[in-house]
Amino acid sequence: MSGRRAGAISLRILQQFRHDRRTLMLLFGAPIILLGLFYFLTGGGSSLPAVDVVNLDRGPLGAVLATDLAQSTEISVSRTTEARAASDLSADTVAAYVILPADLSTRAQSGVVAPSVHLEGTQPALTQPVLLALDQSVTRASRNLAAAEGVRVPVLEPSLDYLHGGPGLDTLDYFGGAFIGLVVFLLVFVVTIIAFLRERSQGTLERLMASPLRRADIVVGYIGGFMVVAAVQAVEVVVFTLYALHVHDQGNVALIVLLTLLMTLVAVNLGIFLSMFATTEFQAVQFIPLAIVPQVLLSGIVFPVATEPGWLQVVSRLLPLTYGVDGLRDVMLKGSGLTSGPLLLDVAVVVAFAVALIAAATATLRRSAS
Amino acid sequence: MSTPAEAVSVDGLAKSFGAIRALDGVSLTVRSGEIYGLLGPNGAGKTTLIRSLVGLITADAGTVTVLGHRLPDRGVLAEVGYMPQSPALYADLSVEENVRFFAAVHDLERHAAAQSAADALELVDLSSRRRSVVATLSGGMRQRVSLACALVHRPRLLLLDEPTVGVDPQLRAELWQRFSTMSGEGTTIIVSSHVMDEAERCGRLGLVRFGRMLAEGTSDELRRLAGVERLEDAFLVLSESAR
Repeated sequence: MSGRRAGAISLRILQQFRHDRRTLMLLFGAPIILLGLFYFLTGGGSSLPAVDVVNLDRGPLGAVLATDLAQSTEISVSRTTEARAASDLSADTVAAYVILPADLSTRAQSGVVAPSVHLEGTQPALTQPVLLALDQSVTRASRNLAAAEGVRVPVLEPSLDYLHGGPGLDTLDYFGGAFIGLVVFLLVFVVTIIAFLRERSQGTLERLMASPLRRADIVVGYIGGFMVVAAVQAVEVVVFTLYALHVHDQGNVALIVLLTLLMTLVAVNLGIFLSMFATTEFQAVQFIPLAIVPQVLLSGIVFPVATEPGWLQVVSRLLPLTYGVDGLRDVMLKGSGLTSGPLLLDVAVVVAFAVALIAAATATLRRSAS
Repeated sequence: MSTPAEAVSVDGLAKSFGAIRALDGVSLTVRSGEIYGLLGPNGAGKTTLIRSLVGLITADAGTVTVLGHRLPDRGVLAEVGYMPQSPALYADLSVEENVRFFAAVHDLERHAAAQSAADALELVDLSSRRRSVVATLSGGMRQRVSLACALVHRPRLLLLDEPTVGVDPQLRAELWQRFSTMSGEGTTIIVSSHVMDEAERCGRLGLVRFGRMLAEGTSDELRRLAGVERLEDAFLVLSESAR
């Protein structure tokens, strides 16, 4: 081993970094961005899940509990009527609603606090804080009551009711749909950006530009080629997920395949579009942490969009994966069909992203040609 | 389509990339069926000039007319063949697949494309390697595949940017033989080079330097103009006087 020769290699690598500002920015900027996102997503400044509380208790405990819940640091509570709470839940504006029944205080005398908790059910991350908040409030409220009236501390025995899904679903069922969208989106994006970048770097794109081909021919041709492969992949992924992994599916399988295909259409055009901003395959690979990881964190796959800080929710709403994941969950967990407004909205937004990206991809070809 | 007497006509073409003036008011006329050589050192503007003939360069000033069509005009590109300096090919496809692909994008239908591809590969002497994947070929072979891709659709105008770089002398001679044959059949060929013995084979030459056309004529005319024996010296003399 020669120190001088090894040193020459080290020096050369540092020189290459100095010439490649992009990579330096990635190395030093991306961790800050990604860890910052993680901070906001896991609690720092996050929004609390919205929960409606309906107090029907004829005794004193209901009012005490409702007041205590309103101060919870886990959930954000509104007091309302039962009818209103039920419609909020089906409109997805709250994560859950809690009914404190008429006999709450009476049964607490015999040692059981039995509120009924109605959960939306498709996002486990929203269920947990509701039950935790309830448990904390019951403990506090009943301890005070118990001290005052000399009775024993009651046990919390909530009855749980799920609008969708429910206790029969496991973690895989909740994440299955979202992961179908993610896996297909990610793979198709990476393959297209590399393929298109190679077209640029090996000079064949220039050759195509010197032929009678029009830009739209190139973009449509790419879509055609990749969609054939993507269609096979979508069917494979969906069949494997549903029939080998037995992920719960409430809805139409054809709709799942359709949504998956729409996601690949977005991914192909995102790949063509972003390849414009990379000059080497190395730089293209860098788009994975920059364009994909934040999207995975912000699309609601793991962290529900509803609990993100407000400004981050705006960002989430600008990402195509958010709508794809939401659509797939609507179909697989809620059994939504094409008559469902929220699902149609998701499909429409994904289609709009696809169209916008096709236009953007075609436009970048125009710019790169001169 | 009738053949205009002028295959290419360039008038006052200018193009800058940032502070670099690649083309500084170039004008030239290439007659149908002739072999026109663009001579000049590296960075003289030859490649930029050739690229502007296939609409890859949006000029700052000046006009380009190709086969009677004023550019930009994508339609006329179906009759133009362009061979870039580096052999721009799909390395993961076979030789035949590459050639057929470029035939298809130049509007040849499938059957005609297959026949033309076979002819083009015959022309560059690669028929025996037609099933080889391009990545496995030597540099000179890739150069020949690239040439086959440029002429597969039997263009009326063929633009060759340093086509014989990396090609051994024997094959170079054969290729030039073929260029002459094609020219005899009516194909106009514009070829850039900085190899002087190739220049001798061109009908007319244009000396390009500093983005300008310094002198134009047959090799004999250029030698007489410079008052020297060898074309290489003529080139140096004429470049020097233009400074």
